[in-house]
Amino acid sequence: MSKILGICNLHDTPSMGQLTKTRPLGSLSFLGRYGLMDFTLSNFSNSEIDRMVILAENNISAVRNHTLEGNIWINNTRTGFLRILLNENLLDAPKFNTDIANIKEHYSIIEDNNPDYIILSPTFFLMAFDYRKLIEYHEESGAEITCVYTKTTRGNKDYLNCDSLEIAKNNVITHSKANMGDEKKQNISLETFIFTRAAFDKILALSDRVSSMYGFRKMISYAINHHRIPVHAFEFDGYVVPILSSYDYVDRSFELLKYENRQKLFLPDWPIYTTTHNTPPALYGPKADVQNSFVANGAIIKGKVENCIISRDVVVEEGAELKNCILFTQSYVGKNAKMENVLLEKKASVSEVKKLAGTKEKILVIKQGEKV
Amino acid sequence: MSKKVVAMILAGGKGTRLEALTKKTAKPAVSFAAKYRIIDFPLSNCANSGINTVGVLTQYESTDLDAYVGNGEKWGLNGVHALLTSLAPRQTEEGANWYKGTADAITQNLDFLDENDPEYVLILSGDHIYKTLYNDMIDLHIDTEADATISVIEVDPKEASRFGIMAVDKNDRIVEFQEKPKQPKSNLASMGVYVFTWKVLRKYLVEDAANPKSDHDFGNNIIPKMLNDGLKMQAYRFKGYWRDVGTLASLHQANMDIALDDRMLDLYESDRTTRIYTQDTYSVPQYIGPEGSIKRSIANQGAIILGSCDSCVISSDAVIEEGAVCTRCVIMRGARVKVGAQVNNAIIAPDVVIESNEKINLNSDEIVLISNGGK
Repeated sequence: MSKILGICNLHDTPSMGQLTKTRPLGSLSFLGRYGLMDFTLSNFSNSEIDRMVILAENNISAVRNHTLEGNIWINNTRTGFLRILLNENLLDAPKFNTDIANIKEHYSIIEDNNPDYIILSPTFFLMAFDYRKLIEYHEESGAEITCVYTKTTRGNKDYLNCDSLEIAKNNVITHSKANMGDEKKQNISLETFIFTRAAFDKILALSDRVSSMYGFRKMISYAINHHRIPVHAFEFDGYVVPILSSYDYVDRSFELLKYENRQKLFLPDWPIYTTTHNTPPALYGPKADVQNSFVANGAIIKGKVENCIISRDVVVEEGAELKNCILFTQSYVGKNAKMENVLLEKKASVSEVKKLAGTKEKILVIKQGEKV
Repeated sequence: MSKKVVAMILAGGKGTRLEALTKKTAKPAVSFAAKYRIIDFPLSNCANSGINTVGVLTQYESTDLDAYVGNGEKWGLNGVHALLTSLAPRQTEEGANWYKGTADAITQNLDFLDENDPEYVLILSGDHIYKTLYNDMIDLHIDTEADATISVIEVDPKEASRFGIMAVDKNDRIVEFQEKPKQPKSNLASMGVYVFTWKVLRKYLVEDAANPKSDHDFGNNIIPKMLNDGLKMQAYRFKGYWRDVGTLASLHQANMDIALDDRMLDLYESDRTTRIYTQDTYSVPQYIGPEGSIKRSIANQGAIILGSCDSCVISSDAVIEEGAVCTRCVIMRGARVKVGAQVNNAIIAPDVVIESNEKINLNSDEIVLISNGGK
């Protein structure tokens, strides 16, 4: 069996405004229980990839907090590992703090482990993806680099600014450009790549010559468009949940309340592992009234909750009424507070103000730890 | 390295009165409060008390329980100076034996205790539901220079004849032990939680092992013999919630105590000093459907509630389908109550399917167990 190194890439992520101010997108809370990076790390784990690296751009404490028990994604805790890499030298030069610079700074991890193939995957395309199929294709085709893509018919609305690919009949990508939303049918890069060791080194070397402000995504587009390295395409025809904006984040979260969507992301025998917090089961009081909602453990619900996503250790007091709300860990809704289209970040609490409302298009965010 | 306290948890019993629930599962491994197994309680209590060396004495259906105990990671008992191990009966130079009684289980593991060389041994039962720190009890044992300290709880005097009863003097020194007495001399019932000075207990265990007439049981043999010999036996008065969940009715009631949130046993305390730890499941958060309803209940992640639940305890991956109505039910892992079924006052065993529109135990106060072997 080939030696694989899986890299979970937290660089070069879409900006989500307030939501990613204190945390990288990869550790953003999702569906009340997960961090976005759980999907990538669990895909590695379920695909029997046991050597993992997280490339952190910044906010490393949020990454560490989420991966405290790194062993949850590792099968053999002696031969496998999960390392978090941060390029401290470039923290004050964000334009140069790329994923490529980060891996160059920690290149010994590549040398020491000497993988046959390296897989790089972001955290903002959620999917149940079996990397073994990609590895098999990559080995059989003899490709140097293979890029995973999805076919969309909503390219005019979804996947804006993602890389749109032109693919030749022999499966080689001939052109890559940013999706400006001008066509419905497009091949969208899922920014998941597998490299041979030699091709990985080639990209690093090419970046030395081209631009130290380019990360993997831009360098690979460059390699495609300037015919430097042939890049193959591998279609993922399963369900993809793109989290590319705060609107996406809210909208996709609520979309997953529908069972028919949920069952396409959470497959049987494909568990999504996450850090455990030893919270007791959720508790529902005598006047609890809950519909169409996710509720995580440790939550105490005494009020009315409709179309909501409730995270760990949240308290909703009696008389409170919530509709279309997302409540992060340890947030609090006091007695008789009415909220619609509101997102409470971690430890935010609402008790003084009794009525809060955002809109479907723009959810009202109450910041981490804020009291209103 | 010698240890101050080593805990030994008696977890080998079959739990016959739990009927089909313990057909393939040891009683301490039975599911409790939607997320836990019963043995999580004494193990978490040890961890929270800083007792980091724990032996779990397993016997009946030990494989599953041994695997669950594992290396102790679930309770944090895998640290550098910690040791959690399950101790099932084994073959030795002297031969092979089952554990013949609670005391014999300890006697057969004298080597484990000698190796860890404790000053005190804490003997616990693997099938009690309570949250505590054992430190006060151990301190009392040391301060009173007792040979043995027995945790006792005040019970209703009318119920006292169901328990092992301790009669005490004004300093709570135990003067007499009565096993299920017709005329109880006090209302202090033994909880089956003991602290012994190890040197003293060791001597009594060795003597007891040589006695062919003994049942090799703590309650019947070791404790009465120590009292008879005039040893210093101290009672420790436990305050708080404690339940022996040995019967279907008591298991059901203890689950209800948590669902109905009277905080007799508070799983939600904010300071985490007595938090209960357990194995996590990797399931999506629980989901309550558009027509679902849940109140006066607890539910674990992975549960799907499309019907209605009132006063229920719902484990992970249990499904209550549309129009199903559950009242006062303990619904264990992976069980499914199908469309329109109605169930009342029941324990639904793991992976049991209740067929559509079935009506079970409506308008009855009796607790029924629904298992794959039938109800």
